[in-house]
Amino acid sequence: MNGYAGKILRVNLTHRKITTIPTRKYEPWVGGHGMGSAIFFDLVKDKTIDGFDPANVITLMTSPLAGTLTPAGAARTEMQGIGVQSVPIGWFTRSNFGGRFSSMLKYAGWDGIVLEGRADEPVWLDIRNREVKIRNCSKLALWGTDTWECQQRIWRYVAGEKVYGDWLEPAGADGGQTTQRPAVLATGPAGENLSRVACLIHDAGSGAGQGGFGAVWGSKRLKAVSVIGTGSIRVNNPKALMQARLWQKQNYAFKMDNLKRRFMSVDFQSPPIPGTLYRRGKPNTGKRPQACVGCHSGCRGRYEDGLGNESTCFTTIFYLFADSLDIQRQASDLLNRYGLNAAEMLWGELYLADLQRSGIIGPGMEIDCPLNFENYGQPAFAEQLVKMIAYRNDGLGNSHPFGDDLAEGFVRAAQKWGRLDGEYGDLKTGRLRFPCWGLPQHKEPRSQLDWAYGTILGDRDINEHGFDQLRSNPSYNKRWGIPLYGSAEEVVRIYTDKMVPFQGDRLMLDFSAGNMYSEHIAKLVTWHRYYTRFWKQSAQFCDWRWPDFLNLYGPGKVGSTGVAEPKFLHAVTGKNFTFLDGIELGRKIWNLDHAIWTLQGRHRDMVHFADFLYTQPSSSLDGTPEYMPGRENGKWQYIKTLGRHFEKDKFEEFKTRFYELQGWETNSGYPMESTLKSLGLDSVAHELGQNGKLGKG
Amino acid sequence: MNDTHHKKTTGSDNGVSRRYFLRVAGTVTLGIGVGGYAGVKEALPKIVKLADGRSGLPVSGGYLLVDEKKCQGCMSCMLACSLVNEGVENPSLSRIQIIQNSFEKWPADLTIEQCRQCVDPNCVNACPEDALKVDGKFGNVRRVVDIDKCIGCGACVEACPYTPSRPIMMPDEKYGGDLKARKCELCADAPYHWDPEGGGPNGKQACVEVCPVGAIQFTAEVPQQEGDTGYKVNLRDSKWSAMGYPRR
Repeated sequence: MNGYAGKILRVNLTHRKITTIPTRKYEPWVGGHGMGSAIFFDLVKDKTIDGFDPANVITLMTSPLAGTLTPAGAARTEMQGIGVQSVPIGWFTRSNFGGRFSSMLKYAGWDGIVLEGRADEPVWLDIRNREVKIRNCSKLALWGTDTWECQQRIWRYVAGEKVYGDWLEPAGADGGQTTQRPAVLATGPAGENLSRVACLIHDAGSGAGQGGFGAVWGSKRLKAVSVIGTGSIRVNNPKALMQARLWQKQNYAFKMDNLKRRFMSVDFQSPPIPGTLYRRGKPNTGKRPQACVGCHSGCRGRYEDGLGNESTCFTTIFYLFADSLDIQRQASDLLNRYGLNAAEMLWGELYLADLQRSGIIGPGMEIDCPLNFENYGQPAFAEQLVKMIAYRNDGLGNSHPFGDDLAEGFVRAAQKWGRLDGEYGDLKTGRLRFPCWGLPQHKEPRSQLDWAYGTILGDRDINEHGFDQLRSNPSYNKRWGIPLYGSAEEVVRIYTDKMVPFQGDRLMLDFSAGNMYSEHIAKLVTWHRYYTRFWKQSAQFCDWRWPDFLNLYGPGKVGSTGVAEPKFLHAVTGKNFTFLDGIELGRKIWNLDHAIWTLQGRHRDMVHFADFLYTQPSSSLDGTPEYMPGRENGKWQYIKTLGRHFEKDKFEEFKTRFYELQGWETNSGYPMESTLKSLGLDSVAHELGQNGKLGKG
Repeated sequence: MNDTHHKKTTGSDNGVSRRYFLRVAGTVTLGIGVGGYAGVKEALPKIVKLADGRSGLPVSGGYLLVDEKKCQGCMSCMLACSLVNEGVENPSLSRIQIIQNSFEKWPADLTIEQCRQCVDPNCVNACPEDALKVDGKFGNVRRVVDIDKCIGCGACVEACPYTPSRPIMMPDEKYGGDLKARKCELCADAPYHWDPEGGGPNGKQACVEVCPVGAIQFTAEVPQQEGDTGYKVNLRDSKWSAMGYPRR
């Protein structure tokens, strides 16, 4: 099996039993998310269990491309299972992280890990090639450590008498050698204390942030998984893989002697510049770009003062009003060390500051809050906030219900405080920016429709940037004068030409108010669901670099997407698998996921945004306008997309269009038998039927 | 941090120093051919004699230089090396090693350890089976010319004065899992070389070609042998600083 290690590791923590699943059993799903969903479906008989139930199965899946020379496609790990963060219930969900973990897992001889049960005491998993041990945390005193200390203790333990920098034989003299440190994924104090907003951290800043999986691990009493491997991944055609990599480098990657942009962008052509969003700019210190395994363009940094190593995106926006850049960088480190979801913490912290300014929270006030706002802007404030959520106390080591409330997530906390009730509830006014499933906002939903619809029709903030350049490029052009990638019409043509099987439907990218609920936008969302479910989350091309729609280095600005993805998959595996095959398999995976949500209790009536999206005009965090492609008076332009809101009735109409496109029953959203059977999901249809959740038609 | 790298990078201790600390003037005598010596104007012979009077070996026609402050740690060089030379992806089989600690401060967070194609190669001298030689066919690169002869004794690994040792010893499936030595050959005669022209000093090296940021460079000039400065160099220019990175 070229590209595969051949086995999936199955670990039952309750019985401390280690078994294997042959990868071939799930090979039709290719890898990653598809495999994870299929394994979850097979192993979890009762899909209605809570995320904290020991029967919840967590999968960590690699892909056949992991650990290979595929650019920005060799380093992602897809984690799935029932989460604990979303509202009203924890959906079957996913999180994904980069770094070295997936490649190291493959070198150790595993295509993935399946975690079940709950250990009788805190444990960690020690994987050294095919040798796997469930070890108690007590020996290394791991339970209670932050994610960074935990990893370094494990590093030292695995090295034994040796030191890193020399060849190590981590699995003994016959097990091969490596110079590398183990790749460790760890939960922090937040996860240990079952905070629903706890994440998992690998190395300094690779985080599996969404779903509250840090807490799920905490509930399983699993502190960390460590893996080190010395084996080989077989490649179908080594020469073709090298040629493909150099083809990609020469034709589509940034050129230092011909830089088209001097800043980081979320696409393939971006130069290697850290994707930090600190309010006061980039750290003015010595640094390097830092990349995941195999990536052509690193998006993180490591710094001369060591602050904020490998932090990007939301982690670097948290504590927006810190008194200095360095304090904000320290705050980002706190999130990584204690293991907290950065988006939740960003919006949650701003919400608390707002409530404090309004005299609602504080010592002895309407909501008794022990946070010391006199320290606002200083490191002490961020530390107290992070610790109170991680330890469920006042952040200073004393018992207090406020930290306990916040550890349940900000929406659940607000609900407990009564702040969601009445005409001016915080999700009605938008004071609490958690628009979908009780989860924090990312892109402006009333503006970036692919993002909003993908999220509410799914399970989590999609965090998929495939169309983000359609907003960021024209918006930054207006704001800072950076050159446009092209006219709206040109850009729309280049993008939509690649969107098989809907290619050529230009109206898929018309973001004007008149097109917000159209069948064209339903196609856009459909294509995005299918592309990402397979090519991003199963084959595991990185979200920040793929798809490569528009590329300023490409011929006629046309990027490599559609050609590149199957080229790499073929070079590694030998599979004759077209781009459209991937879209089709993505459709199957999307349907499987939807079936699982349906079994969990999903019904059309539950699928709605928080009220503020229907009543409040959209706005950006800093008040600047956003522009996206759209038609005005029949002409393509970059149009303003802020200041509008969704209409409830029209969104209902949109849902009907979307469900019809999927082959789901329109009045319930339940999948129809014919749809599932046409996808080869007969057993899924059977289980839905047994539970009375099969759509009619 | 307790997990910092411990290196013997220059081989400046114990008995090897006398043999390795070549001086530009005095220690190298004329042989045949003409080469360059990085940073010095004098022509360097391609065959050298050492100060202790032993006959020298022809110098390699090529060397890899690296910039540890510029490297983005993607390990693409390692993946390309293993792919082109072994037909598989395995960092443990890579002749160039990137070693990182993501909790450390730049630039101590990362080292690059590549084979130096030493002017006086201990590994070649140590091989008891003549498997590891200076290969005139490929620009005098130090290479395992006859893998059948390699008995996996590890003498080359032991003889290498650098940490981690540049020759690597790994089980070889083609030989029933027997240990076999590999080392950097500048992709000379690499079985899975992608380019019809091939590799070696006169061809293309996988790590150089694939590096996204230009942190590995090929040179035909013999680097300063003493210490690291000849091999670990500054490849950062104005294009690099234009992206916000320091040139220092």
